[in-house]
Amino acid sequence: MSTLTSTDRALHDFAAQVGAEDPIAVEGNRTRWHLGGPLDELARLVEAPTGIVDYQPSEMVVTVRAGTTVAELHETLAAAGQTSALPDRGGTVGGAVAVGENRLDRLGRGSARDAVLQVRYVSAEGEIVTGGGPVVKNVSGFNLPKLIVGSLGTLGLIAEVVLRTNPLPPVQRWIRAERVDPRDIRDALLRPGAVLWDGTSSWALVEGHEVDVDAEVDKLATLADIADVDGPPELPPHRWFLSPQGAAHVDTMTDGAFIASIGVGTVWAEEPPQPAEPDPVAAQIAERTKRLFDPSGRLNPGRRAGA
Amino acid sequence: MDLKINADDLNACVQCGLCLPHCPTYRVTGDEALSPRGRIHLMREVQDNDAPVTTEVVDAFDTCVQCRGCEPACPSGVPYGRLIESTRAVLADTGAVSTRRQRLAFWALSRPRTLRLGSTLLAVAARLRLVPERLGVPTDLPFMRGQRHTSGDDVYLFTGCVMDAWQRDVHDAGQRVLEAAGVGVTPTGDLAPCCGALHTHAGLGDPARQRAEATITALSNDDRPILVDSAGCGAAMKEYGHLLGTPEAAAFSARVYDIHEWLATRLDDLPTTAKLDLCVAVQDPCHQRHVQRVHDATRAVLAPYVHKIIELDDDGLCCGAGGAFSVLHPQLATDIRDRKVDAIERVSPDIVASANPGCSLHLAAGGVEVMHPMQLINQALHQRT
Amino acid sequence: MPLFRSTREPIDPLVADLTAALDADRVRADGAQRSLAAHDASVFDGGIAGPVCFPETTEEVQAIMRIAEQHGSAVVPRGAGTGLAGGAIPLGRPVVVSTGRMNKVLSVDTDNRIAWVQPGVINLDLSKKLRPKGFHFAPDPSSQQVCTLGGNVANNSGGPHCLAYGVTDAHVVSLEVVLPDGQVAVLGGAEDETPGLDLRGAFVGSEGTLGIATKIGVRITPNAPAVRTLLLSFATVRDAAQTVSDIIAAGVVPAALEVMDQRMTVAVENYVAAGYPTDAAAVLLAEVEGLDGGVEIDAARIEELGRANSATDVRLAGSEKERAALWKGRKTAFGAVAQIAPDYYLHDTVVPRARLADILEQIYEITDRHEVTVMNVFHAGDGNLHPLLVFDAREQGTLERVHAAGAEILRASLAAGGVLSGEHGIGVEKQAYMDELFSPADLDHQNRLRQAFDPACRANPGKVLPMGHSCADIQALREMPTGVWG
Repeated sequence: MSTLTSTDRALHDFAAQVGAEDPIAVEGNRTRWHLGGPLDELARLVEAPTGIVDYQPSEMVVTVRAGTTVAELHETLAAAGQTSALPDRGGTVGGAVAVGENRLDRLGRGSARDAVLQVRYVSAEGEIVTGGGPVVKNVSGFNLPKLIVGSLGTLGLIAEVVLRTNPLPPVQRWIRAERVDPRDIRDALLRPGAVLWDGTSSWALVEGHEVDVDAEVDKLATLADIADVDGPPELPPHRWFLSPQGAAHVDTMTDGAFIASIGVGTVWAEEPPQPAEPDPVAAQIAERTKRLFDPSGRLNPGRRAGA
Repeated sequence: MDLKINADDLNACVQCGLCLPHCPTYRVTGDEALSPRGRIHLMREVQDNDAPVTTEVVDAFDTCVQCRGCEPACPSGVPYGRLIESTRAVLADTGAVSTRRQRLAFWALSRPRTLRLGSTLLAVAARLRLVPERLGVPTDLPFMRGQRHTSGDDVYLFTGCVMDAWQRDVHDAGQRVLEAAGVGVTPTGDLAPCCGALHTHAGLGDPARQRAEATITALSNDDRPILVDSAGCGAAMKEYGHLLGTPEAAAFSARVYDIHEWLATRLDDLPTTAKLDLCVAVQDPCHQRHVQRVHDATRAVLAPYVHKIIELDDDGLCCGAGGAFSVLHPQLATDIRDRKVDAIERVSPDIVASANPGCSLHLAAGGVEVMHPMQLINQALHQRT
Repeated sequence: MPLFRSTREPIDPLVADLTAALDADRVRADGAQRSLAAHDASVFDGGIAGPVCFPETTEEVQAIMRIAEQHGSAVVPRGAGTGLAGGAIPLGRPVVVSTGRMNKVLSVDTDNRIAWVQPGVINLDLSKKLRPKGFHFAPDPSSQQVCTLGGNVANNSGGPHCLAYGVTDAHVVSLEVVLPDGQVAVLGGAEDETPGLDLRGAFVGSEGTLGIATKIGVRITPNAPAVRTLLLSFATVRDAAQTVSDIIAAGVVPAALEVMDQRMTVAVENYVAAGYPTDAAAVLLAEVEGLDGGVEIDAARIEELGRANSATDVRLAGSEKERAALWKGRKTAFGAVAQIAPDYYLHDTVVPRARLADILEQIYEITDRHEVTVMNVFHAGDGNLHPLLVFDAREQGTLERVHAAGAEILRASLAAGGVLSGEHGIGVEKQAYMDELFSPADLDHQNRLRQAFDPACRANPGKVLPMGHSCADIQALREMPTGVWG
């Protein structure tokens, strides 16, 4: 019998706490508390269970409960030379999955939504629901993990996830480059961890085997004035979601400070982003999804994914 | 209906579908019925489950170009050529497919004088633009043909029917290349006027077998190699063993070589010379690549004489000529040719080399400049320095 | 017997409406066409197909959806028909929507590294088109020379090189989708993160049950400048499996790690003559991609780990031609088995890598007990097994033994902590096993997702979710046509 139907005390306790009646929300470390609109004051707050349940480095998967901090998870993974695609902003694993933001080094680590192989959440009816599977490749049934990542807890309260891990590169070097089009840096590097741009300077995270990193940095030296730096620049507070090409032209869209992720499209800016115009039909599907998963609207009331 | 297909041959197909992209008619229509897997499914339904032979079923079988591009693509080794030949022969016999026009046209093929006379008349008509364009008859057909001569008795050069009337300069070039390698050549000429490939293609089993038997009889006074510069003829003659099922036919087939195949093992005998300053795209005739599978030889023989050989990126997909196919199914043939012309334009060669008369004519009608590899080599060998 | 008799039904009002919306050439209701649409590459007998449509535009797909809705017909999309789980076979006389004519690459945007394609574009055709620009589409299913990108989206297809690059959902950025009610939704976009629910992600792998994708934006991946392909031979399957685990544990992420057992290797070598060793119990095909220096290091590490696990031979592909031949062998493996028996049943399960060797031993034991021949070829790096049961269906009782053995293999994989399918999907093949992997609440939530897109259950009904859930109960309509063009 599959492990998916096994019982787990901490998850059942969490489900019991969530119940099936009243408005409810999960409180993590509140690092992204404002997203999706203000939470209804009537909502009862609960905390997700914590702890790393299972970790097999040779499988490159880790099972972790949602209340665990990303920092704790990454510490455990780092001991085996690995990490995950979740960003560490001082929050919890469940929070990071519910928000679904990618790391700064998204080019190197992949996206958060691709990292979630299996999710267990407590439904509006108070039942534990499992979607996906605990292995790196799986097309068994509908892709509930994708739906849950970035749903801000509006479809179910995340209790536990199985994440894909990836090996930390043997060498990582942050390089700052001047007098160069950041897109040329992106195109020159085969697999950069990140390429950033503030309108003047560029930064590149060059990673891999030492010999490859040296060769790639030598290549950059032919394109630009470069220097090794300790890390990426400070990021302004607001996130804009642009296409890669849009991010490379973000200097024409704002007068404020920004850091653009070249080749990805995400921009961190001083100014808040223009509200996105969602596809109207997609919005209808999203509304229907919410009604079907949470008919009484008790999960994270007041919040809406994408608001 | 019994399509007279061997049950094991029919069962060899596991429906994996890997043949689909290698089928020209599937490629241009996206229609499963016009694919090898689809046609085999219909053969099974007709032969095993007695499904009725409707117009759509006939159409599926009738539109197969018989390029046999599906055969090398098939990991299960389904002998598709045998399946479709048998199916078409049965349909032709039962009258499901009308073969009257083809029978009439093919009648002339083994009557060389009639063919040459007709061909000259056609050449005149084509110059006068009296021939419908869709038939793809070249406007520069020769009025006159040079004399054939025998230069020795090392090999036969099979000259065939339509090609001898329309493209005798290719035979002449092939013969001069062979002679340059010190080989004495006997052109077969009217001795063996037609190999029967077009008949086999059309499902005309009896006339095909008659042509095969006549050809074998005519060329079996000795055991000289028989070289063929038309890929379609070469493929048919190599399959006489299967067609007739006799040891004599099998022994004859073993003597048949594609001219490039034979020369490729004797490259050292060919003189070296200055290369033609041409980038040549090789268009592999299906019956050379998929049936005889000797297309690498063309490159080996041609390479020393041209600046560069360029490969098309379409995995040897058929050009749509297919014997009489371009005449019987002009729209499909044109759509298929358009794909080939696109592939040629993607690599922008100076010229295209093709070792089959049908392909050359069909591509030329699509505005592509085509020469036979032997013509290119001959030109290189005899260029003025 | 009458020749030239067509079973076209000119008075069928559904066909008349479809013909008015497309044209007569592209709506085919004849028996032969419908018989063909009743099958894909799986062993499952088709039901009865309704008319087969060949739309060329999004608007035409919308029209088909609306007409089908008016006539109360279901709709099943069909790409190249290479699916192995019966996902494209018609149940309940649906309108079949072939994507065969929607085969244009609309644009290649190298700035954003996205190619916009219609769903009928063949996977390998896209990569070929991208090659001169220095890119490719990373997911490379074994059927990539024929399968379509629409099919890849429907099945969230994998492939040998998905070990390093991820399966299809990691490479699809945007989908234009025609819903079963005829409306068009655009899911996702060129932005890396799009606010709101990830409906794009939910659509990928939904096996045609949520609608039909009519325009797909896929990520294109730069071609790596250096590639090393190694062929390692082993005296036992266990040694090969252990090597795979050790490579991953060492932090090496090869582009591909593929294993074939001896029976498979012999069949493949017979077809491609690529130089596969036919005397080894198992071969491991390992490929690393990247920059020159790194691939040397990784290749050396793989060789070292192989030798530590008693590899009997380690060979490095010396040329691109040799490499291509090895891959051709691997990718045509399934078809090559017809040399051994006329029928095959290809399974697809995933287990944790560490359990590979155990499960393989169980598979040999199970198939021996059921007197079925098994050949193994699998994506070892992902733990994705493909036991291939070969048989002759004409022999009395064989099919029953094959199904019994298959069911045991599936249950053994689940017991080892695996899942039902790594890349072929559920289709009709594994519906009955869904409730062995998922609880009723799990399946109920999957059903809710389906209903959010398709409340009336008209998109490819009868697939994925087991009987008892809505959209699955159309068994009554599964009749078998024999000997007539339905």
